[in-house]
Amino acid sequence: MFISSSFYRKTALCAVFAFVMMPTVFAQKAKPAASAALKVAGPQVTQIDIEGLKKLLKPNGKPLLINFWATWCDPCREEFPDLVKLNGEYKGRVDFITVSLDDLDDIATLVPKFLREVKAEMPAYLLKTPDESAAITLVAKDWSGNLPLTVLYNAAGEPAYTRPGKFQYETLKDEVEKVVMQPSKATAKR
Amino acid sequence: MKKAAFLLTAFFALAIAGSAQGIAVGATMENFSLPMAGKGTMTSLNEQKGKNGAVVMFLSAQCPVVKGYIERINAVADDYKAKGITFIGINSNATESAEWVASDAAQNFRFPMLIDKGNKLADKLGATVTPEAYYINAKNALLYHGAIDNDRSGENITDTYLRTAFDQTLAGQKVTNTRKNAFGCSIKKATVQ
Repeated sequence: MFISSSFYRKTALCAVFAFVMMPTVFAQKAKPAASAALKVAGPQVTQIDIEGLKKLLKPNGKPLLINFWATWCDPCREEFPDLVKLNGEYKGRVDFITVSLDDLDDIATLVPKFLREVKAEMPAYLLKTPDESAAITLVAKDWSGNLPLTVLYNAAGEPAYTRPGKFQYETLKDEVEKVVMQPSKATAKR
Repeated sequence: MKKAAFLLTAFFALAIAGSAQGIAVGATMENFSLPMAGKGTMTSLNEQKGKNGAVVMFLSAQCPVVKGYIERINAVADDYKAKGITFIGINSNATESAEWVASDAAQNFRFPMLIDKGNKLADKLGATVTPEAYYINAKNALLYHGAIDNDRSGENITDTYLRTAFDQTLAGQKVTNTRKNAFGCSIKKATVQ
């Protein structure tokens, strides 16, 4: 059987082409599969910047409890189930919001995974800003940025209770109760 | 009599408020002595201080934010040691044993680590987060307090707060940003507050 030299050349060319392209093809196929595996179903976590944080802190006539946390922070994770419990107890009477300080890369993975595990239903955000110092000062002037931080605002937007570090469930519940019982003020100061 | 009682109450209230906030920029940091991790021998701020000052840096053996900063902290410590500014690590975390702190310090940091048992120094200075830096000059005046730079990840640093404070001081200028915060771990204090 005669096989022409051009056939050999073509075959060799195809082999070289396939060898060169193989990593690219595999990488393209592997990438979506890998990210799909990493992404987890769970609560929607919305990215915000400092302007978004300012909007969250604006009073809407209802008390607000805001918790700053991160998945890498042990005391944050430890106190989270109590936060979920309080949210369940005061649903409709107090707005609960959580703001994660995790890396942006974790917004669709680690953060919703944890929130799903603890059955968190409150609106969840992830703050990403080039000036963390400004965000920290915006929330509380005496805060150095240590996590977790929980701030409770009354209906007028005035800070009623600020707790840097892990909160005690009973103490926070008492503070929430006080704010709920307060008659709402006409002027908003948050 | 009522006036005197009022003034006395106001004085104590201010004193408590002042102590809760720690040391302010411009104030003098008092000398302190603490045991060195892994050695047990006592050393003081004034013994460790360089000819152009020192950085008292609150750290942790377990905080992921500190872990992310190890290389950057060592790099800045190395760069400025030759320029007369030394680094002194402080561990005030009640949840971290002396053995753990010593082994972490030996493995990760190229400057002495002191153990602040009972977090007395942290309370005195008002330190609450790790990493947290206090930069003093040769006369112990606090020139800068806070974060190392503006990006935990290290990927998008646009402001190197601590290096800038060093460079401005060494150039004979005033430090422009004297206080900058960043998110980090809470110092796990022995006393529940």
